[in-house]
Amino acid sequence: MSADPVIWVSSILTIIGFSYLFKENELYRAVEHLYVGVAAGYTVVMGYTNVVNKVWGPLTKKGQYTVLIPAVLGFLLFMPYISKSLGWLRRLPVAVIVAIGAALSLRTAVVEQFIGQLRPAIIPLNSINNVIITLGTAVTLCYFIFTVKPNPVLKVGVEGGKWVIMVTLGAAFGAGIMGRISLLIGRLFLVFQDWIPLIKKV
Amino acid sequence: MKTLQKLGQIDSRVIYALLILALLIPLMRPLGLPISIGKHTQRTFGVLDTLQAGDKVIMDIGYSVSGAADVQPQTIAVLKHLFGKGVRIIFVGNQTEGPMVIESLVKPYEAAGKKYGVDFCNLGYLAGGENAIASYCRDLKKSYPVDFRKNQTSSLPILDGVNGAKDVKMFVFFTTQNSDMYVRQITQYKIPIVGGLINTISPQAEPYVNAGQLAGILVGLRGGAEYEMLMKAPGVGVASMDAQSMGHLLIIAFIIFANISYLATRRAGAKGDKGGAK
Repeated sequence: MSADPVIWVSSILTIIGFSYLFKENELYRAVEHLYVGVAAGYTVVMGYTNVVNKVWGPLTKKGQYTVLIPAVLGFLLFMPYISKSLGWLRRLPVAVIVAIGAALSLRTAVVEQFIGQLRPAIIPLNSINNVIITLGTAVTLCYFIFTVKPNPVLKVGVEGGKWVIMVTLGAAFGAGIMGRISLLIGRLFLVFQDWIPLIKKV
Repeated sequence: MKTLQKLGQIDSRVIYALLILALLIPLMRPLGLPISIGKHTQRTFGVLDTLQAGDKVIMDIGYSVSGAADVQPQTIAVLKHLFGKGVRIIFVGNQTEGPMVIESLVKPYEAAGKKYGVDFCNLGYLAGGENAIASYCRDLKKSYPVDFRKNQTSSLPILDGVNGAKDVKMFVFFTTQNSDMYVRQITQYKIPIVGGLINTISPQAEPYVNAGQLAGILVGLRGGAEYEMLMKAPGVGVASMDAQSMGHLLIIAFIIFANISYLATRRAGAKGDKGGAK
């Protein structure tokens, strides 16, 4: 068995985590809280490091006073926890974050996700794949037409769109299961290779 | 009929135990099932193989340890490929745990002689998600005045002549999140973008590959295994494939059992109704 205490701790915590599958228990709940606590602690440390590297350092060593603007805005996010009457000040940095995020993503969303996706959808119908892509796109769009009174032609499109969406969701769900199995395999490698050497190392 | 109906009432704990066994046995005794190479992996390998010694790439590690099992084998295989070719890698972290993952990934290469600051660097985590990507792609040094190891980024030789995404040959990302934000923020720099994705989000990225906005994608553990096969260096990915296949077969079997049970129950119910009417 491994002599590394880190492997021992992580393997035992993994087994306790999986004990939930049998029955919810006190140990599982303790591990759950531990996980949340460690993740939160790590995030706090990263946040602190960010402030030191990106605010304190440039401010004290280079005299870059402009870094005070995002620093003050960041501080205002904590106002509701400091003073109830000044809690509304949090809306200022939230507004800035939403505005910048929207501005950055909306412009590029139109170019890259709308026009960028529209262009390759216009393809010659010279292969079975291209025919499926074109028909699939058309019937899926039919499914989302809500402003026209359904007529027999549209109804066929809507029904086809429903099938295409179901197949897409099925593929996504299958991919999801595959992903979860991968995560389980990762844990099995930890417990039965790194901790108890039952699986041979490649 | 009752036996068929009972198929749908198997205790979920039995299913969990069977699934763990179905995965564990092939890991302990590999079956050697054949692994075919998918078009996405083939294409991605081709794109990454065009890089030459000395070329610089930005590599965004956007996954945490909780999602690592699905995406890390790809990362390890790609790193082996790129470091083997002498490509210089500028690592950034799009998730808080990213820098820690980067340090563990580069450890063997650093021990083997790759120099920090020259062959690679770890710029650390930048908060902001999509805003962070936009920021460091525009101005790397301004977004990261200090790297993860507390060096001034202006002093790193690997960043000489690199101000942003436009100054590197390629952008590679590995993520457990959606690829949308990478496409939105990086396509404008006209450099090839390659993504390593977890299985769950890969269907959403396929349209970007078809449109040429992503030069290539690797999909989950399977993508990692295929890349290892192309590299002729089997690793964790290849070792996991038998287990993955057996797990899928078991789940398919359970889906079939559940449907047989459902149909049997419905049929029995219909017969019961008929009897009641009489």
